[in-house]
Amino acid sequence: MYEVLEDFAQQNDLRETSPGLKLFIGVSSILLCVSSPGPVAPLLVAATMSAAVLALAKIPARFYARLLLIPVSFAVMSIAVVLFVTGSGAVLLEIPGLPLAITAGGANLALLLLARVFGGMCSLYFIALTTPMTEIFDILRKLRVPAVFIDLSMLTYRFIFILIEEAGQIYRSQVMRLGYGRFRESVRSFGMLAGALFIRTWESGESLMLAMDARCYDGRLGIPSDSRPVSALALAAALLYLSAVFGVSLSTGGLVLV
Amino acid sequence: MHIMEGFLPSPWWEIWFLVSLPFIVIGLYQLNKLVQEKREALPLLAVAGAFVFVLSSLKLPSFNGSCSHPTGTGLGGVLFGPCIAAVLGLIVLIFQAVFLAHGGLTTLGANVFSMGIAGPAVAYLIYKAGTRAGANTYATVFCAAALADLFTYVVTSIQLALAFPGTAGFLGAFSAFAAIFAVTQVPLAIVEGAVIMLVFKYIVQLKPEILTRLDLLSESTIQKLREAAA
Repeated sequence: MYEVLEDFAQQNDLRETSPGLKLFIGVSSILLCVSSPGPVAPLLVAATMSAAVLALAKIPARFYARLLLIPVSFAVMSIAVVLFVTGSGAVLLEIPGLPLAITAGGANLALLLLARVFGGMCSLYFIALTTPMTEIFDILRKLRVPAVFIDLSMLTYRFIFILIEEAGQIYRSQVMRLGYGRFRESVRSFGMLAGALFIRTWESGESLMLAMDARCYDGRLGIPSDSRPVSALALAAALLYLSAVFGVSLSTGGLVLV
Repeated sequence: MHIMEGFLPSPWWEIWFLVSLPFIVIGLYQLNKLVQEKREALPLLAVAGAFVFVLSSLKLPSFNGSCSHPTGTGLGGVLFGPCIAAVLGLIVLIFQAVFLAHGGLTTLGANVFSMGIAGPAVAYLIYKAGTRAGANTYATVFCAAALADLFTYVVTSIQLALAFPGTAGFLGAFSAFAAIFAVTQVPLAIVEGAVIMLVFKYIVQLKPEILTRLDLLSESTIQKLREAAA
């Protein structure tokens, strides 16, 4: 699953668009979602970002739908609290026997939060599915993020894929030997998995060190970057889109559900 | 316990970025110094970061069937100290947001504070206190990892309650958030403590030189632990 997200980032139809522009659109839409006072603008962002992901980048719809389900559990739990804790306005629903009630104020806030989360998640997926991590590192370097931080993230990134592979192998062989049959066994097996993984990781880190030393590593990873110029038309379209969303967010600020 | 993208409203997500910033700056400074002194530190830190990421992307067995993920923050805090763990936490959280849709970019500051700073700091302090008091090493590791997890979730509840006090006020909202997350987080903390304890045990049995090199355990303690296991 994790490899798949990055696989799509490497070969979607927006791959050749300037990574700076994609990152700019994604991050600005997130900021617009978070600062929007009403739920309409975030929902608009969610719809347009999903359209961009599906139609422009050509990500399969089924896969995208599955991705959208990931954050649901946290959303449901936290929004339930907000729904009951915020009490202002008319009471819409009372739970018999418990001092809990859903009020208009709570419902509006919950709706707004749901819209913001939805819009933010879609924008995040837009970045994740169209821009490979390696290009994001490149942008970070241009933004003068400390080199040691970027080197550390790049090495971490490299190792994630190796380790996921190994963890998967260990996990599958444990499952085949009924390692997760009962609760006690599953805790034991998981501890074994994590311990074996940690030791293997450490060993591969040590061999990486040797390999890098053999290639004259001097504390700096030099990686050439290729720059793809942003076309004026694309930039103009992006700015137009963002200002349209901003306009919607301003004009619908007063809109409430009840 | 990640807060999702878009959940924290405007002053709060900026405030948590500002709160986390000094820890990250100190962490980067320490990291720079460490890398200049010992070049081998960088690859080893990188694999540790990747390990935390992979661990958190696996499902942990849980009592109530809900899907929970270990945070691995306790281990990072014990191994590298809280400030470097904060930098590792930041990197892992960025990858989690971009690859797994756990957490988000605007909520990064709040998440870094709860999982990258508060959790590891608690783990580190408990581990130091435990070893100084001469307590059983495995029990200390269990407490450090489990309490780091619990504290992370308490901090998340505080962050949410501050942002959404509602009419119940901060305390009322805090207890509501804490109660609803406790359903998944309390069992998770116990399981994670047990898992990290087992990890520690495997390291002691198979590759104790990792622990001596990080100055976590002395040769004599490891000798004693291995004898006890044999």
